[in-house]
Amino acid sequence: MPSNSSPRRAAVIGSNRIPFGKAGGAYANATNLDMLGAALSGLVARFQLQGERLGDVAGGAVLKHSRDFNMTREAVLGSALSPQTPAFDVQRACGTSLETVTAIANKIALGQIDSGIAAGVDSTSDAPIVVSDRLRRTLIKLSRAKTLPDRLKLVASIRPGDLAPVAPDVAEPRTGLSMGEHQALTTLKWKITREAQDEIALASHKNLAQAYEDGLFDDLITPYRGLVRDESLRSDTSAEKLAKLKPVFGKGLGEGVATMTAGNSTPLSDGAATVLLGTDEWAAERGLPVLAHVVDAEAAAVDFVRGEEGLLMGGAYAVPRLLHRNKLVLADFDFIEIHEAFASTVLTTTAAWADEKFMVSKVGLPPLGRLNPAVLNVAGSSLAAGHPFGATGARIVGTLATLLSRAKQSRPDGGPVRGLISVCAAGGQAVAMILEAA
Amino acid sequence: MSARREQILPEVPSLTSLYGQAVARSARLMVRRPGPIVARLPEIAYRVDDVRVDQSQLAAYQHLLGEAGTDTLPAGYVHVLGFPVAMAVMAREDFPLPLMGMVHVANHVEQRHPVHAQDVLTVRAWAQNLRAHRSGTQVDLVTEVGQADGLDVLWRGVSTYLAKGKPLKGLALVEAADGSRPAGGRDPEAPLPAVTANWKLGASTGRRYADVSGDRNPIHLTSLSAKLFGFSKAIAHGMYTASRALAAVGPARGDTFAWDVEFAKPVLLPGQVALNLTPTEGGTDYLGWDPRSGKVHFSGSVRPLP
Repeated sequence: MPSNSSPRRAAVIGSNRIPFGKAGGAYANATNLDMLGAALSGLVARFQLQGERLGDVAGGAVLKHSRDFNMTREAVLGSALSPQTPAFDVQRACGTSLETVTAIANKIALGQIDSGIAAGVDSTSDAPIVVSDRLRRTLIKLSRAKTLPDRLKLVASIRPGDLAPVAPDVAEPRTGLSMGEHQALTTLKWKITREAQDEIALASHKNLAQAYEDGLFDDLITPYRGLVRDESLRSDTSAEKLAKLKPVFGKGLGEGVATMTAGNSTPLSDGAATVLLGTDEWAAERGLPVLAHVVDAEAAAVDFVRGEEGLLMGGAYAVPRLLHRNKLVLADFDFIEIHEAFASTVLTTTAAWADEKFMVSKVGLPPLGRLNPAVLNVAGSSLAAGHPFGATGARIVGTLATLLSRAKQSRPDGGPVRGLISVCAAGGQAVAMILEAA
Repeated sequence: MSARREQILPEVPSLTSLYGQAVARSARLMVRRPGPIVARLPEIAYRVDDVRVDQSQLAAYQHLLGEAGTDTLPAGYVHVLGFPVAMAVMAREDFPLPLMGMVHVANHVEQRHPVHAQDVLTVRAWAQNLRAHRSGTQVDLVTEVGQADGLDVLWRGVSTYLAKGKPLKGLALVEAADGSRPAGGRDPEAPLPAVTANWKLGASTGRRYADVSGDRNPIHLTSLSAKLFGFSKAIAHGMYTASRALAAVGPARGDTFAWDVEFAKPVLLPGQVALNLTPTEGGTDYLGWDPRSGKVHFSGSVRPLP
């Protein structure tokens, strides 16, 4: 590649994931490594990568056991890929596998590697339970104690209360509020109605069910542990059923203002997803298709700790900056994927994009205008599919690349076919990405 | 102001033995009615030199309060370092108010320069400004922390305590000119702001702060020991709540700042505290309240030093 040209674009060649399970459901006994291995093996089989030495593999999980310090490399060693394929772990909360796609795509674009896999996984069923800090410190001292009296003294210092296990929760460490409680505050601030949220949830289930019917996932999913479809998908749900559910978040905010239910909030999930990336040449040499190219990506973060912005509003900053840099507007996109952490995240993010005062004063860019709902999450999103934190970005990239490729084939002489992704994440973060059909 | 004699203590006194002395003194006062108490503060300042930071206590403090694990002391930790010296002043036989019955009502800290974990420090503490208040007698305990070899005060804290009951005789009633709440106080009728954080405080909160601060006042430890002093349950240390609010403000506070808090209703343990942080011109205001009753526990601010 000539050194004075702009970097080449990484190609999305294909993807594979396992169906996403509900917490405590089909994958109750599967570990992160098990699921990542299953998704990776499916990808290797689908693209005949047995024995291939790939440039790099990036993966990650949000809730991770300390024994899984080298999880992705372990998954590679457990797969049919060449054992000479290196791998590394990444964590950016719910944006983890959008970040791994970015990392692998950037290495390809810079010419450092010509092929790679980006992946993500999470299990809420096999979440690490840890011992209390006091017990942990005592056990560490115990392992270093040299004499029996020293050891006995340490053992005697353990109190019954120290033995209580500590389970991870989804509360923000600095605020103690769960994501749902945070988003309830944002929902109230943007005056998002219950009906609008339920509409998003209903569309997610209908669109995902339709996508399965249309065979969209035939080449994107490998069944695992008896699951062939996402366990949270309810193709028979209805506006009436969703309207019956009681609010679960924001109940302390005042009479009748709580609107977020189990139906319009993402369920806790288990699952893994992978994406195969490479150069156009690498794909061509192996007779593999190129579905789309990674155009650009942007991460953003907001100050939610001091209440200056809603926890999950990062997408309201990442997307305008990304579009501005690429001189694009919302109308330039045939598909827009906004991760449904909650139905209201989609609504508050798009409301912010359209709000001139917000955009000018907070983002410092002109408003993006109204989003055309017909291009939003057309194959369903996290409300219906589930949301294993680390796997969601790779799920969306895999699905979107296929949608883009199909749209391009249906109008081959048209202009560029583009897709936009926005994924909000814990810590007030978000990751956004632009893909373009090849 | 009268000239204060300075007395050098060989080391930072132990809070546990000070509390022991204080409890014994309260008991003695109950048995043997003293003569008329003189409404005068001891004209003495205690000084301790060569004060060093216990690194493991600092780390435990930082972890418990949610402060970054840096080598710069959190302003609340400097308070912990100097508090026993101020306590020693209050535990003196000639201190006119009963230590065990006093309520911490407000605290003002000026972090004038950063204090580092390796600094060898000098702590000075004295009492001043004894004054009558609507519901008793108030006094300010001033603590100054500086580098042992320097004259500059790095950190200065003023803790205001109230001894409830009839004001001591011969003191002027010091109140705001219009008789309203003190400057910086919050209108109790104002609506509560949005929640920015929610603290779930377990029954052991007081014991855990006692572990890192050394402040084992029985009202904070167990509900049984708190009952002896008229509380229905153990209450959180006021400085624990204020220091957590300071930690929540985070690096936005800068290296030097003024940190104020006024304590209202005590936080009963176990319990929850809703916290609001509101960025202001150059600083942050904070408010903590009971999310169930809406009653305010504390309010305060972190501002740049003037």
